[in-house]
Amino acid sequence: MATLEILNVTKRFGRKVIAVDDISLEVHDQEFLVLLGPSGCGKTTTMRMVAGLEEVTEGTILIDGVDVTDLPPRKRNISMVFQNYAIWPHMTVFENIAYALRLKHMAKSEIDRIVREVAGMTNIGEYLERLPAQLSGGQQQRVAVARAIAVSPKVFLMDEPLSNLDAKLRVSMRTELKAIHASAKATTVFVTHDQSEAMSIADRIVIMRDGKIIQTGTPEEVYEKSANLFVADFIGTPPTNFFDVTLQKSNGTLHLVNPHFDLSLDAANTARLNGYNKEQLVLGVRPENIVLTSEKDSIMGMTALVVEPQGSHQVIAFKMDEKMVKVVAPSQPKPDMGSTIHLNFSQGTLRFFDPETTFAIGD
Amino acid sequence: MAATKPKSLRKKLEKATPYLLVLPVVAYYAIFWLRPVIAVVIGSLTDANGALTLHNFAMVLNDEKFWPAFNNTAIIVVASVTIEFIGALFLALLINRKFFGSSIFLFLTLIPMALPAVATGAMWITGFTAHGWLNSLLYYLGFLAEGDKIYWLGGLEANTFKLLVLVILVDAWQVIPSMMIILLAGLQNLPEETKEAGYVFGGNYMTVLRKITMPMLRPTIQTAVILRLISAIQIWLIIVLLLGFGRLPVLVERIVYYHEEVPGLDISYQMSAGYTIIVSVIVSLTALVYLRASGAFKKEEAA
Amino acid sequence: MNRKTKKTVYKAVKETIFYLFVTGLIGAMLLPVYFIISLSFLSTREAYRYPLPLVPALQTKFEMTHGERGYLLSVYDRVEKDYQTVLDTSELEKMEVYIKSQLGTSISQEEIQAEMDRLDDSGEDSIFFTKPRNLLYNYDTFFKVTRDAVPALIRSLEIAALTILISITIGGLAGYAFARYIFKGKDALKFSVLFVRMFPGVAIALPMVIILAKANLYDEPLGLSLIYSVGAIGLTIWITASIFMGIPESLEQAAQVFGATKFQAFMRITFPLALPGLAASAMYTFLGAWNETVGAIILTQFKPTFSVVVYQTLLGASGQVNLAAAGGIAMALPAVFFTFFIRRYINQMWGGVTV
Ligand SMILES: Nc1ncnc2c1ncn2[C@@H]1O[C@H](COP(=O)(O)OP(=O)(O)OP(=O)(O)O)[C@@H](O)[C@H]1O
Ligand SMILES: [Mg+2]
Repeated sequence: MATLEILNVTKRFGRKVIAVDDISLEVHDQEFLVLLGPSGCGKTTTMRMVAGLEEVTEGTILIDGVDVTDLPPRKRNISMVFQNYAIWPHMTVFENIAYALRLKHMAKSEIDRIVREVAGMTNIGEYLERLPAQLSGGQQQRVAVARAIAVSPKVFLMDEPLSNLDAKLRVSMRTELKAIHASAKATTVFVTHDQSEAMSIADRIVIMRDGKIIQTGTPEEVYEKSANLFVADFIGTPPTNFFDVTLQKSNGTLHLVNPHFDLSLDAANTARLNGYNKEQLVLGVRPENIVLTSEKDSIMGMTALVVEPQGSHQVIAFKMDEKMVKVVAPSQPKPDMGSTIHLNFSQGTLRFFDPETTFAIGD
Repeated sequence: MAATKPKSLRKKLEKATPYLLVLPVVAYYAIFWLRPVIAVVIGSLTDANGALTLHNFAMVLNDEKFWPAFNNTAIIVVASVTIEFIGALFLALLINRKFFGSSIFLFLTLIPMALPAVATGAMWITGFTAHGWLNSLLYYLGFLAEGDKIYWLGGLEANTFKLLVLVILVDAWQVIPSMMIILLAGLQNLPEETKEAGYVFGGNYMTVLRKITMPMLRPTIQTAVILRLISAIQIWLIIVLLLGFGRLPVLVERIVYYHEEVPGLDISYQMSAGYTIIVSVIVSLTALVYLRASGAFKKEEAA
Repeated sequence: MNRKTKKTVYKAVKETIFYLFVTGLIGAMLLPVYFIISLSFLSTREAYRYPLPLVPALQTKFEMTHGERGYLLSVYDRVEKDYQTVLDTSELEKMEVYIKSQLGTSISQEEIQAEMDRLDDSGEDSIFFTKPRNLLYNYDTFFKVTRDAVPALIRSLEIAALTILISITIGGLAGYAFARYIFKGKDALKFSVLFVRMFPGVAIALPMVIILAKANLYDEPLGLSLIYSVGAIGLTIWITASIFMGIPESLEQAAQVFGATKFQAFMRITFPLALPGLAASAMYTFLGAWNETVGAIILTQFKPTFSVVVYQTLLGASGQVNLAAAGGIAMALPAVFFTFFIRRYINQMWGGVTV
């Protein structure tokens, strides 16, 4: 089908606002790529530039190798699900879906066939003659999706299409979208600021912040190999725990020392920190990588402040230097609130960050 | 960084779109507004022979009716804008309560706005004559004894003050609806929750009105008042319909008087042009002062 | 009484007072309008009586006796509550004209003749009879007697239509630009609405006489509508901008993404959605153009507008208040009719743009 390339693209509004700052990105054929980032980081702007709704200040956008930077939206062979759906209130569901096909001068029977097919895929077949005002939010959203897939575009853009739905519908629509993608196989760019949504749906995630791309990778990569403090904090619930530690060397092993613990690193981790010669370091540990152990295997004993059973697991929180640290542990054994828990880190998953640059070290 | 490419024609056109859309208005104003305005400005600055002079303005200022006209206009503007604003706001708040039948009520209150000036003229002329419907009504209601009549617009006791009051009331009657619709639209477009939040946090009707509704309505109020202010200074037609020229002189009435009523005088054209310029200057200054005082400009600077 | 009924009664009393207040308010506001309407149905004779009858009569009561010159006709006067002699003649035509024009009552010469015969045959001193009023007499007369009323009406419609056309196209384009684009001079455009109004409208009309005459548009409907549009365009910009602001831009952009040109997207999406609001805006313009009088007096000579004709009936030599009232009401009807529709759209019309 198609590839999408964004090359050194910058977008400025006026002189001061740089909404998108020199980003480059390649979306592979049939890939489901998620643009993820906090509010205001430039996700929508990027999408709108790909769609041709926003002029590119600098840079080039290629679809299937063809420069579309200066083409109007209608010549780009894309389709889009808008954040607020943007379904046309004065047209029936059928007309909404058929409009784009009519613009392509398709035969009536062909239009009819396609509309019914995509309506079936999105489960809105029974509402075709209704006006959008007579549909629920979730149904409207599916009309927007149906309209977008009907045109079989080269690139399929979705700007936070699920953000207006309630939690349950959101999860089920997520699965449906993924299924639709699996059958339609359109190259897709999906925008969200919800990291768990991104993790569950993406082939690859692009993390943006302040108009820049911070990291690109599969969900596993951005989770396990977060490129900097921001990503490690942004991805995952509960987020990564960070500890400010001092590097100390004694008899050939490295120790990460903090008023509460003294962690001696294994050989592999020591090797990772070989080239690092600053004294301070930020240690990042995912909540599931802090393990409850017996007192003798532990590096610290803390007071369990909150214990939240979640069924399959439990979340235990304790306080260290005014900061909450969260631990995800198997549901048994269950410590009492207020009791002392003994903890250690699993060495294979430790993350190290340079406190000055915030970047990860030792990857 | 990619080098900036030469802009395609499409891009240029896209950039120019808003200007192209606005162009017809600019051209239209230039032909049908600016041209006559310039003609009047030139007229006000030249004498009968076409020589440049400021004498016309001196003539206007020395016109025996100038200061009475100025004062009458000022009184009417202050009083009528105040009364009309209060009346319009009251009606708008009432209709915004959305009671059963409020839509019909709204329609009925809009009727004065829809009536042509000649129809309202006829209405008040027949009302204010000694044997008109107003006296008849008062008679039927028992306020007037048989044979007694109130000489609304004439008679011995017709002083300027009485005429001013009548004119202000008559004007308010016709103008309140057009001011009201602007305020009503503003009220109805305020998010309902802001008011509800005010009630939830313990406000009563008056405090919510004062502390929440009115401040949020401010841009709308400014719009309604400035539009009204500009036209109130230019009041004249209803006065001439009721009283003819000269009995209650106001500024714009003087323009028409010199141009239409005494066109024969050699100074008529100069007088009417002079009056026009003076009126426009007064209107612009008032509008400017109002906008500045009400903070309409500040908001833009902040944005 | 228990608390619940007490509460219901309290509520009912409160509601009743509220509605009495609202009805009283609207009654007081529209009282003058009532009188002008009532006046438009009064006969000429009654229109000049004092005190003015409060409601138009539906019929006229006559008394007929023998007079010096023929038959003596008296009519019942509602003010004096007695019959008053109005005519002494034997000429059928004179009597018919008088009854029709002064008393606004339908009667034919045959009917008059029949009453005369009845008086002669009865041998009594006087006979009484009643004839229905022709309530629309004033309206009828206004259009028949007033030279020009019908052509003037057509001209006024033409002028209003042209004004709407000019101001909606020119103002609507600018309103669209205002709602959708950021551009240099946007604020200037907004304030131009105020600016144009700062120069007295009459003062513009005066030099326009010469400008229009040069363009052969003096005393022509097009010329008038060009002048009316100067004032109308400004408000049209504000109103249409408000309307377009109320239609999300993304609807139009969605159409563009799905293959429409900018123009197609506007025509297929934004325009139909804006249409009701634009119609309301057009009606608003109609009110202004239809009701305008002063400019029309200055800028017409042999082709007056309807408003000028009414004005002349009111103040001119042939002036007659009940005819003027009928003309005024006839003129107000379409304006009031449109107002009925406009009221639904005031939110869209005035919601978006403020100074
Ligand atoms: N038309 C505009 N004019 C000026 N600044 C703009 C404009 N559109 C966006 N911006 C700015 O550009 C930045 C990026 O905006 P964008 O809408 O792309 O964010 P986003 O990542 O989509 O955020 P969200 O998750 O809230 O939708 C923001 O700081 C925003 O204020
Ligand atoms: Mg966004």
